[in-house]
Amino acid sequence: MRSILIVDDDRDLLEGQKIFLEGKGYRVETAASIEDGLKKIETFTPDIILADLMMEHYDSGFVFCKKVRDREHLKDVPIIMQTAASKEIGFTLDAASPEAKKWMKVNEVLTKPVPLHDLLGKIEHYIK
Amino acid sequence: MSCEGMSVLVIDDEEGMREGMRRVLKKKGFTVDTAENGADAIDKMKKSAYDLALVDLKMPGIDGFQVTGFIKEHFGDGTVVVIVSALATVEAAVEVTSRGAFDFLVKPFTPADLLQVVERAVNQRRLIQERETYLTELNSERNLSRQIINSMREGVVVVNLNRRPVLMNPRAEFFLGTRFSEGMSLEEAGFSDQVLEVMERLFSDEKDGGQVVLREKHQDQMLEVQLTPHLRDGARVGVIINMRDVTEEWKAEQDKNRFISMVAHELTSPLAAIINYINIILTGMFDEKPDKIHEMLGRSKVRGEALLDLIKDLQYLNKREAGKVEKSMEPLDLSAVIADQLEFMKGQAERNRITCLLEKNEDDFTVHADRGDLDRIFMNLISNGIKYNVEGGTLTVGLTRNKKDILIRVSDTGIGMSEKEMANLFQEFYRVKNPKTSGISGTGLGLATIKRVLDGYNGRIYVESEPGKGTTFTVRFPGVSSPV
Repeated sequence: MRSILIVDDDRDLLEGQKIFLEGKGYRVETAASIEDGLKKIETFTPDIILADLMMEHYDSGFVFCKKVRDREHLKDVPIIMQTAASKEIGFTLDAASPEAKKWMKVNEVLTKPVPLHDLLGKIEHYIK
Repeated sequence: MSCEGMSVLVIDDEEGMREGMRRVLKKKGFTVDTAENGADAIDKMKKSAYDLALVDLKMPGIDGFQVTGFIKEHFGDGTVVVIVSALATVEAAVEVTSRGAFDFLVKPFTPADLLQVVERAVNQRRLIQERETYLTELNSERNLSRQIINSMREGVVVVNLNRRPVLMNPRAEFFLGTRFSEGMSLEEAGFSDQVLEVMERLFSDEKDGGQVVLREKHQDQMLEVQLTPHLRDGARVGVIINMRDVTEEWKAEQDKNRFISMVAHELTSPLAAIINYINIILTGMFDEKPDKIHEMLGRSKVRGEALLDLIKDLQYLNKREAGKVEKSMEPLDLSAVIADQLEFMKGQAERNRITCLLEKNEDDFTVHADRGDLDRIFMNLISNGIKYNVEGGTLTVGLTRNKKDILIRVSDTGIGMSEKEMANLFQEFYRVKNPKTSGISGTGLGLATIKRVLDGYNGRIYVESEPGKGTTFTVRFPGVSSPV
């Protein structure tokens, strides 16, 4: 069974995506903070990671991704970043810009709310 | 011809001549002095200045040429010289005028002849005076412009076609971190590459006529640099550079951008959660599990209501910032206001099994304030004390006062906060996020709003907290001095 780690500080989004993706036959682990997420990947190697960008801080998601990529066994795991506004951190970082994407080392940046079939499509694209 | 106030020195070795001229000129209103030879004349001129000198050419000792030389050397155009001589030749006339004399009067002459020549000389003197006045004024105007430029809060630099700064006011020196010296290069002047590039473009591209405004960071300052072609008769002769410190504006813009970004994020998040739930329900995958659907709808409702609260809070903040919140200031008993609030929140407290207490003594807790403002402050604090409490906990509001202020302590026995979590507590949209707070709804605007409202009253708010023990917010509010 393919596995997914979702990191998001919005409990409802976490819960919703979890039950949806479980319904689609994935094993889903969730984390509500970076710390939580990092703890999860100590013992669990997901096939793909969905991460929120703005959690405790505006760039929490980026910090999380960096820490994930720093781990040798996770450096190739696809990461899809989800953000509540494409320019949510405005002057600091436009997550949707190609440079920012490259810098953040994520495979995809999606704007919330992500339509379910889009999310599913992207997941299938990366881990098929 | 008015000669009032004009002074003239008659220099002639013949007494008859001297006295004759003195009489004629005095009648016309001149102030007349006489000298009987060159040395005498020079002595007199050393003591006082004359507008006009009538100089006899042929005198024993120092002659008229030498006297004229002395006058021109010492007074320039300040004294108009008329040569009086019997040597009426063209050569002699050319000679004396080349030495600086203005006119030539030929002996013998009639009083009318004398006056005619003198009149021309007086006019000449007047013209010179006017020009001098004009030049003095022009000079002082230049000084004034210079002083204005030097006193400006904007930095000004003028660069000529040779790419050399020709003017730099002290403010510009400050911005550029340099000292102006004649002939310094643009690099020495401390201009950035960005500015140099634009300057070069203004010099080289005749068609691109416009002004260029750009911003650049200089240490901690944000400078706005405006480059304008310096035109003379339509031709470019240089570039004028204006520099302005826009650090404050820039910071305010950044704060505003940050706020707008945060608002966009905070408005989108609950909607994203709601839409996500609805989309899941619409897939039909939980049609057989109504409990699950119910749960999702319940959460959607909670998030929708929270979104509405946030919008209301934002509208209030917006109105407040725009000065559109109507206030009616009145003396209010703060202890009664808080008692009302506690009563109002009773339902919520009971649901969460929180005991609410009001502790106060017999002091006077009258404040001069708007009821709406007080409600907003204490409703938020009491609500927080209930929300972030633990089941069976206590919320205590204690009032005390000193001479000037009333101190209101709102203490809960709830989950508390760490130092790190408290750091940004009063910032817009900051919410403490940990597993214990994840189920608690809030807009992230409550404490930020309280702080703003209190600022309007010269009030303060402080927080103390310990994880697992509880949190105490202390509000210091100016009291109305009690009548003794």
